[in-house]
Amino acid sequence: MQTTSDAVIVVKNLIKQVPAVNKLDNQQIDILTGVNLEIKHGESLAIIGASGSGKSTLLGLLAGLDDATNGDILIDQQNISVMTEDERASLRSEKVGFIFQSFQLLPSLTALENVMLPMELQSKKTAATDAQQLLQRVGLKDRQHHYPKQLSGGEQQRVAIARAFITQPTILFADEPTGNLDKTTGQNVIDLLFNMNRESNTTLVIVTHDEVLAKHCDRCLVLQNGTLSDCEQVNA
Amino acid sequence: MLNEFRLGARLLKRDWTAGELKVLLFALIIAVTSMTSIGLFIKRIDNVMLDQSGEFLGANLVLQSPKKISSETIDYAHNLNLNTSHSLNFSSVIVANNNFQLSHIKAVDKHYPLLSHIKTSNDLYGNETQRNSGPIAGEVWLVPRLFSLLDIKLGDTIELGERLLTVSAVLKHDPGQAFSFMSIAPKLLMNINDVESTGIVQPGSRLTYMVGITGKKSNRTTFEKWLSPKLNASQKIMGGTEGSEAVNSAMEKGKQYLSLASMLSVMLSGIAIAIAANRYGERHYNQAALMRCMGAQQKNIIRIFSSQLLILGVIACGIGCLLGYASQQIIATLLKDFFNSTLPAASLSPLFNGFISGLITLFCFSLPSLLRLKSIPPLKVLRDDLAPLSLSLWFIYGLAILCIVGIMWWQSGELQLTIMVLLGSIACGAALFIISTLLVAISKLILPGLSGPWKIGLQQIIRHKKQNQLQMLALGLSLMILMLIFLIRNDLMMRWQNQLPEQAPNHFVINIQNDEVEPIKTFLQKNNIKTEGVYPMVRGRIIKINGVDILDRTTNNKKLDQSLKRELNLSWNNSIQANNQIISGTWWNKDTQGKPYISIESGLAKRLNIDIGDSITFNVADQEVSASILNIRSVQWDSFQPNFFIIFPDGIINDFPATYISSFYLSSENKQLLNNIIIKFPTITVLEIDDIMNQVKSIMQQVSSTIGYVMLFVLFAGIVVLAAAMQSSMEVRIQSAVIMRTLGARKSFLQRSHLTEFALLGYLSGLLAVIGTEIISYFLYTKIFSLNFELHFMLWLYGPLFTSILIVLISLFYTRDITKLSPTKVLRYT
Repeated sequence: MQTTSDAVIVVKNLIKQVPAVNKLDNQQIDILTGVNLEIKHGESLAIIGASGSGKSTLLGLLAGLDDATNGDILIDQQNISVMTEDERASLRSEKVGFIFQSFQLLPSLTALENVMLPMELQSKKTAATDAQQLLQRVGLKDRQHHYPKQLSGGEQQRVAIARAFITQPTILFADEPTGNLDKTTGQNVIDLLFNMNRESNTTLVIVTHDEVLAKHCDRCLVLQNGTLSDCEQVNA
Repeated sequence: MLNEFRLGARLLKRDWTAGELKVLLFALIIAVTSMTSIGLFIKRIDNVMLDQSGEFLGANLVLQSPKKISSETIDYAHNLNLNTSHSLNFSSVIVANNNFQLSHIKAVDKHYPLLSHIKTSNDLYGNETQRNSGPIAGEVWLVPRLFSLLDIKLGDTIELGERLLTVSAVLKHDPGQAFSFMSIAPKLLMNINDVESTGIVQPGSRLTYMVGITGKKSNRTTFEKWLSPKLNASQKIMGGTEGSEAVNSAMEKGKQYLSLASMLSVMLSGIAIAIAANRYGERHYNQAALMRCMGAQQKNIIRIFSSQLLILGVIACGIGCLLGYASQQIIATLLKDFFNSTLPAASLSPLFNGFISGLITLFCFSLPSLLRLKSIPPLKVLRDDLAPLSLSLWFIYGLAILCIVGIMWWQSGELQLTIMVLLGSIACGAALFIISTLLVAISKLILPGLSGPWKIGLQQIIRHKKQNQLQMLALGLSLMILMLIFLIRNDLMMRWQNQLPEQAPNHFVINIQNDEVEPIKTFLQKNNIKTEGVYPMVRGRIIKINGVDILDRTTNNKKLDQSLKRELNLSWNNSIQANNQIISGTWWNKDTQGKPYISIESGLAKRLNIDIGDSITFNVADQEVSASILNIRSVQWDSFQPNFFIIFPDGIINDFPATYISSFYLSSENKQLLNNIIIKFPTITVLEIDDIMNQVKSIMQQVSSTIGYVMLFVLFAGIVVLAAAMQSSMEVRIQSAVIMRTLGARKSFLQRSHLTEFALLGYLSGLLAVIGTEIISYFLYTKIFSLNFELHFMLWLYGPLFTSILIVLISLFYTRDITKLSPTKVLRYT
């Protein structure tokens, strides 16, 4: 497959199999059967699909959180399929940000401390000031010293967005970012996410089954039977 | 590295503010507090015992010699800043009012006694006064018995050799009592400066010179090392732990009891830390996964969390040490009256030991959690069901167990005891695993027939099978430790003390001739004096083992055992004495009766490295007697009954000249009877051993009350551990309770199903604990403390019941809010 020079993520013939629950018969279940994909710098991409279609598995693989059974994934032209977990970790720390359905804020840390964490892991000294700026940007400056438990779902996800942007990642992966939120709150979070994405020119990969969210993206792909196809083709 | 330490510290601080660390911190503090306080206290008791046994000798070390001790030796001691005191011992006849009495004369210098006090009084049964030195020149102090034997009173004059001396006090207690065994007569204490003027000490007189030594322990050791090779066969040096088999034996046992208690507290602490560390790990899985997601490498994770543990460990161990020091200080103050003296300060080494042991235990038991945190897949942030690798956890926990065993051994210095506790715990663990698996299987079988809360309760147990098994293991082991401590305090100690009943023999009679045996028995019977028996005694020296001369056997730099240097008391008997127990081989039967066999005491067999079937040749009255070992006996030396290293069957050594020995109890009011005995049987020797007995009794009491306090402490720690063990599984239970409430379950229904689950869990853990306790105590009773083992029926009856109630109470504490709050609040709360 030919890759374009401004592609940030290139996926070639990605296959993922997992062992069947009943391990006795030694069977494998195919989750991804040969995914090919190219994502350009600054592009926003939605991957939709039914529950259990393998969206989150694909996201995990793209972000280097999991090992593929076969195939290659290139991030910024580096093949992460041949990297060790620690090498992938160091790549993640430089280039990747995450937003999760269940927010994944640490309950023992305040909003500010949660946002600071990625920078602290990189021993950056500006963690606190950067985090405060970002919390202001997401409209939570007044609540920076609150613990996740004291925040609403929408507020928690805004903290998570601030945390995702603090390392100025090249790529942002979002796993059902509105999945746990009501419609209005979800809409607010979507607006915030896309605005910040535009401002920082980040590549955004969203896994969702929220079609409204998918429409905000430059491109939409649907995962079905282990392969990707265009949303429009499927709808048509 | 430094960054990770800083980040670890910051995260730890935040965890602290969020209240995440309480359990681990508390478990660690409890662990270190109990280790240090018990360690410090044992050290103190140890010092007391050593001091008291020093008191027993009148000094830390006593050098004994039939000839005057060289000035070179004394100078060397003084150069090492050691204090010395001199005494001269000999037998002589005292004359007063035309009465003659052979007495043990002890002449002392002004420094005697270096340790403790001499006690005197102004009339025979009057109040005692403590004195720091012996009589002044011209005066003598006499034991009460001499007053009636010589028919004298205070202020009278007695004649000793060519000298007249004034009796100025009644001698009630002389700290050098250990030597009363060698004295065969009542004691007179005099000033050493008067000896020459008596004219008794002539060339050829049988004298025993003694030099008492006190001073810094290191200097004493140097002195001992320097002196030992210079001693000849007739000289010996005795330290604090020598003196009397009975006191030694009591001290050894006392220390073993304390070590056992300390070991159990270490084990309990280990369990507490393991549970808390495991929980700490589980609570941080998400944090670790998230950090991995954000690009932290495995080494970063390990460093961050190790830094946290290190900081936490240092703080908790520090606090634990301080609390440990404070609590033992409080115990010592509380026990001050009991000990009748101020406890000597403990050395600070237990503080250091406690601190290091706490850190080692923390890291050993946190290792599995740390490794799991390290290996956490970053994908866990997307898929919550992913668990960290559980590879070779057995190996890691095995390592943790080895570490705790190492610490137990290090803290107690008792390898055999450590191994037994370990084996017992492993057996308990295995029994627990089998039984809990069986119970789960049975529960599955009976489940379909049940309904309501019982069904839900049982279902919970089946559903959380693995978790429940682990929890039962933790509960079972902790309860086992509590039961063991309880058993030690209330059964083992009691039985040990009962071995020395109120009326244990306090007098030995030796030198009884064959034709005096019956008359003495009759005399004692007539005066209502109970005796355990009269035993024959033949003096003999071991000269060959398996036909090889003992001198040849011991040439390879090995020191000749004391027992080979002197004559031993050999005896014969058809039946085994009550306080003796065969530990291998068999007692004589029809086939072996009257054949040349012997029964040997276990300690001697061990020292001589001989076993059943080996033959020993004795020199008895210049004739050789050979016999092979048929059995090995353990002897309870602190029973104050006549005991023998070697016993023959009847008919082998009967023809050799023998004397007889017996022991009996005589209350202080009846002491006058001694005079009658001596008048009636002038050739026999009566030894008064009240002081030794009191010594042993006081050691027993000290150990017993110390263990009482230790028990309280362990009990407290135990309840904390139980609570920690319960808490770790409480969240899952609370969550399912909430879901059930949301689905409409009534409060009472939930309460009953909880009650069922916890009552059952408590009962089963209690039952397993009883099994483990019985296994360990079997070994303790039979192998360590030489006591008969019997199953503890009360423990089987009440143990599980009590633990069931305890667990239900703890569970009620944790679930108290769940039934009160509304489901929505609870859902948010979890």
